[in-house]
Amino acid sequence: MKDSMKPLSRLETSSIPCTLNGQEISLNVPPAKRLLHILRDDLEMTGTKRSCDIGRCGACMVMVDGVPVNSCLTMAYQCSGKSITTIEGVSAGGMDPIQRAFLEEGGFQCGYCTPGMIISVKALLDHNPDPTPPEIEEALSGNICRCTGYGGIKRAVQKAIEWRREAYESESVHD
Amino acid sequence: MAANAQGVAEAPFVWHPATAAEAWQLKQTLGTEGVYTAGGTLLRTQWEAGLAAMPNHLINVGEIEELHGIHIDCESGTGTLGAMITLSDLRTSPLVHASFPLLTEAARSIAAPSIRNLATIGGNVLSLVGDSLPALLIYDPVLHWHDGSNGLQESLSEWLSTAAVHAAWRERLLIAIELTQPALDSNTKRFVAYHKVGRRDAFTPSVVTAALSVQLDSDNRLSDVRLALGGGQTIPHRLELVEQFLTGKIANKKTITEVYALVVEHYEPKGDAFVPVSYRKKAAANLIASELWKAVR
Repeated sequence: MKDSMKPLSRLETSSIPCTLNGQEISLNVPPAKRLLHILRDDLEMTGTKRSCDIGRCGACMVMVDGVPVNSCLTMAYQCSGKSITTIEGVSAGGMDPIQRAFLEEGGFQCGYCTPGMIISVKALLDHNPDPTPPEIEEALSGNICRCTGYGGIKRAVQKAIEWRREAYESESVHD
Repeated sequence: MAANAQGVAEAPFVWHPATAAEAWQLKQTLGTEGVYTAGGTLLRTQWEAGLAAMPNHLINVGEIEELHGIHIDCESGTGTLGAMITLSDLRTSPLVHASFPLLTEAARSIAAPSIRNLATIGGNVLSLVGDSLPALLIYDPVLHWHDGSNGLQESLSEWLSTAAVHAAWRERLLIAIELTQPALDSNTKRFVAYHKVGRRDAFTPSVVTAALSVQLDSDNRLSDVRLALGGGQTIPHRLELVEQFLTGKIANKKTITEVYALVVEHYEPKGDAFVPVSYRKKAAANLIASELWKAVR
């Protein structure tokens, strides 16, 4: 059997290298195990939320190589060599302006969907700092909120865009 | 064996072939115990819903280089999409948008960005009911398979017409989808439209998914009419009889009224407990009629 065809099986113990929130790690898990369960159960990082389990609600959203993916749909082997960012990673250097915008604009009520929302907004703004309203709607179309509604969330995104723009302009002036 | 809270096993072997030949050989060896997997989003949904059991072996085709890449020749109006191209790649590729705009719109309407970052065009096609299919059908698509020999090419329309009853294709590996842009005659314009009608914007099977491409001259005379319908559990297909009816006709109120009746009569969707066949027929006919109206406005 060629090396490239060697299976990653549940019997292997240290075979899935990746970066988690900037730290290089090796996942010693069954290769088809869901990233959601690895994060919450194995690594005890419970900021990523479990809800629908089929990629519909967005509560379990994480970034893989800078783009949002549903961790309930992502299998361990699909993370090999990738860079994963969870909500814990977003706030590692203190509260992210996107999180502050959600707080100030009332972009949450129970808060269960909020980590996933924050991840989707961060992925959007990192890629497109000045999105149009349709682009914001598309970016958040995989995140469902079932208690506070979307008005506050949209305001929070607009506020985050403003703050990031102001921060950029301020940096440009000082350069 | 490990299982999640729903009892779905999470410990199959995962194989990582480097070439299509290796993947195909694995599938022959493993038989029904092994399943090709790309993004895995549809498979996961099926496992969770109990529609399919998680197999003992997954054959990850994501590392096979020949399944990747978008190759478009603007001069000849042809293109090839690797089966591993994600729906996000389709959604954001300026080349795809310039040459095959209905695919950009189809990709935009499927699920959400986070799923499109994993899900592939190959998986959407092989589901038999994916919403990329009506858009693809407009571009004379040809499927390129690896079948253990020199490769097999087959028109998407022909494959769709028998895929639900003949399962032999499940042994093959889809490599790429070849597309051809409709040519544009002089003194004509082309009108294209893609529409999905559903009980929700996404995440639920659509009631009707329609793709349309027509050429119009200065008198609004129609030519090179291409019309594909699908949605829900209906396997998408071109409506050749309606295309023939429209070809050479001037698009006006009379023609549009007649084509509405023709679609209601000849389109044969699959109904379900939520949306009966009669409703789907009318929704499809309304979509076609309204788009033709927009084309001549």
